[in-house]
Amino acid sequence: MKTVDIVERIEGEAKLNCTWENGLISDARIDFLNFRGFEYILENKSPLDALIYTPRICGICGQAHLKATVDALENVYENIGEKLEITPKAKLLREIGLNIEIIDSHIKWFYMFILPDIVKLETEDLGIYEPIKGKRWLEATKVASETIKSLAIIGGQWPHTSYMIPGGVMSDPTLLELTTMSNYLDGTIKFFENSISGVSIDKYLSFSKYENIEDLRGDLKYFSDLSLKYELTKYGKSYSQFISLGENTIFKKGRFKNKLINGIDYTKIVESEKNTFTIEDDNSEDKHTWAKSVLYKDEFYESGPLSRAMISNNKFIRSIYTKYEDSIYTRVFARINEVALLLIETKKLISKIDISQESFLEPKIDLKKLDGVYGESAIEATRGSLFHKVSINEGKIFSYNIITPSVWNLGPKYNNKFGVAQNAIIGAPSIDISKLILRSFDVCSVCTTH
Amino acid sequence: MKNKEKPTVVWFQAITCNGNTHSLLSANSNRLELFFDSFNLIYHPSLTIDKSLDDILNSNSKIDFLLVEGSISNNKKFFQISNNSTYNHLTKLIKKATYVISVGSCASFGGIHAMFKEHVGVKSVKEYFDKTLLKHQIINLGGCPVHPEWLLQTMFLLKDYGRIALDNEGRPKELYSSLVHHGCTRNEYFEWKVEGEFGTKEGCLFYDQGCRGPMTHGSCNKILWNDVSSKTRAGMPCVGCTEPTFPRDDMLNTKKNIGIPFEVPLGIPKRAYLSITGVAKTFKIDRLNKKLMD
Ligand code: SF4
Repeated sequence: MKTVDIVERIEGEAKLNCTWENGLISDARIDFLNFRGFEYILENKSPLDALIYTPRICGICGQAHLKATVDALENVYENIGEKLEITPKAKLLREIGLNIEIIDSHIKWFYMFILPDIVKLETEDLGIYEPIKGKRWLEATKVASETIKSLAIIGGQWPHTSYMIPGGVMSDPTLLELTTMSNYLDGTIKFFENSISGVSIDKYLSFSKYENIEDLRGDLKYFSDLSLKYELTKYGKSYSQFISLGENTIFKKGRFKNKLINGIDYTKIVESEKNTFTIEDDNSEDKHTWAKSVLYKDEFYESGPLSRAMISNNKFIRSIYTKYEDSIYTRVFARINEVALLLIETKKLISKIDISQESFLEPKIDLKKLDGVYGESAIEATRGSLFHKVSINEGKIFSYNIITPSVWNLGPKYNNKFGVAQNAIIGAPSIDISKLILRSFDVCSVCTTH
Repeated sequence: MKNKEKPTVVWFQAITCNGNTHSLLSANSNRLELFFDSFNLIYHPSLTIDKSLDDILNSNSKIDFLLVEGSISNNKKFFQISNNSTYNHLTKLIKKATYVISVGSCASFGGIHAMFKEHVGVKSVKEYFDKTLLKHQIINLGGCPVHPEWLLQTMFLLKDYGRIALDNEGRPKELYSSLVHHGCTRNEYFEWKVEGEFGTKEGCLFYDQGCRGPMTHGSCNKILWNDVSSKTRAGMPCVGCTEPTFPRDDMLNTKKNIGIPFEVPLGIPKRAYLSITGVAKTFKIDRLNKKLMD
């Protein structure tokens, strides 16, 4: 038996094609049928224009693209032996901006994209979790918009600011503004404590073993109870291989394959278009999606908060993983866990800013004067590792390659090996569960295909 | 108010980055809640849960407000939603709609997505549907993304008065008649020709950083973003994202010819502008050449 289903209420849309055997999904194909051609659009543009274009790849993780672009352009300078000096203040302001965006995205995802579907397993009456009407849903929207104000103070607006630039950042916050930023995050911490975890954030962050779940109250506990009842701890398992390409104050770079392997060699990343549509009209039958397959040393790896928790050795998430592996349950937990980590860390980063430092030190060489140079970067974005590579010829962008987190998770088969999410869906007993599995990766179709 | 008395709203997502959706979600939360209370948002692909796009397409109910996010194409090769092209879906939807609002620069003018040359046929809503027999003109809310408050104000105004004055680009006059330059905290620097730099609170970004504030229609500096700021206030030049000309080339740089900006503020003869500049530059105003906090 075969079924086809359109999945909405993710970022964008996907099409799920399932083959069934004995009531279980035996083959799953995920189609992303939209392509916007950013890599083509960027060709021949002034290098700095990429700062305006790439955030517009995605309305929800634009700061990640901005940061990846800035890093890639600064890597160009490094590659020609002219490494730029970036003040600690500018570095902090960049990391803070990106962190705030991740917090905003995780909160929206939990309340808009996954919790309603989980509650639906139990009851048709979504109550406080009902989109548009429910008290908690509205509170979550409110807290997300309050959180993002903190970023708007240094970015001027969100979405779609380009306040980072090779050499630093464009803004120059005052102490008062920094305090206000911190105040907004205090509001989010309160929401985390009162609604999400039901315990103080310090207590939450001290959790290190699976049994601590019993100490939780709030929506996370509700999620946990429902997950155990409806066996979300059983579904959604894939390769248990994790990758994290980027590094910052809290996330480490590396791989997990049976054990932790430190370090990453970017030259081992291969993107394949075997099953991917191309803009030329030679699309054979195998090609069914605009998403590419991306592999590290010829293997599929999962990217995202669960991977980050595994690689940065987060004890609490590790303990859940030990019990339930890479299930829907563990994946959701890892994402929400990051909200607490990022909130506390970001407040710390704000307090470290020395406003007397420069925000921006102008590069001595204009990128428009360069020829035959390239730069690359990898950062951790909301949904996982984001990789950018730019090459510049005669002062213009010659090529720009982007590998988004969702490509790691949602790409199609490669050499008879299922992609990460595909593999996770196989074995699911119903369309509802398979959609939940898909959602557990925090699907962003706009990023997947860009 | 009962649900059925509220105007119905359908949000259609075409070729987009979803930025306008997230802009709306980042609106002032009291305003957003009032919007949810006053209108009946029956469909939004990422927010509502009861209905799918197919349900909306196959229903005979009228739509009071059709909001379109993203540019439109009749080409299914590069872009399809629910098994059809965005153009075909919109053809169906538009017939049911009383007001059609293009939300953001992609829907209004084609925007960034129209820059992908291989995808022939990416256009604005108006380019495809201007000839459609609609009772009201299509309203363009330019901006990449749209300012959430501009969208809310437009919706409430139409709900209460049933009409809105539009400029030549189909944008509400009340929101787009002034320039981004109005209300910019750097105006005094502009007046006295004090040049800015990236990473500082002082100086005007018109001279070197490519600021389009004096040539761009929009109220970014009057109705602040996220309630707290604007690009130019923070230190980022305006890139002119509310105009049909967005995106342009080399946006973070002011095009000049022997030190004279190629384009001068809207409506000011270049000559006049240059003589005033000359005069203004002869003043050396200490206060404006110092750090604000010194
Ligand atoms: S920065 Fe831009 S908007 Fe502000 S005063 Fe200067 S030109 Fe006008």
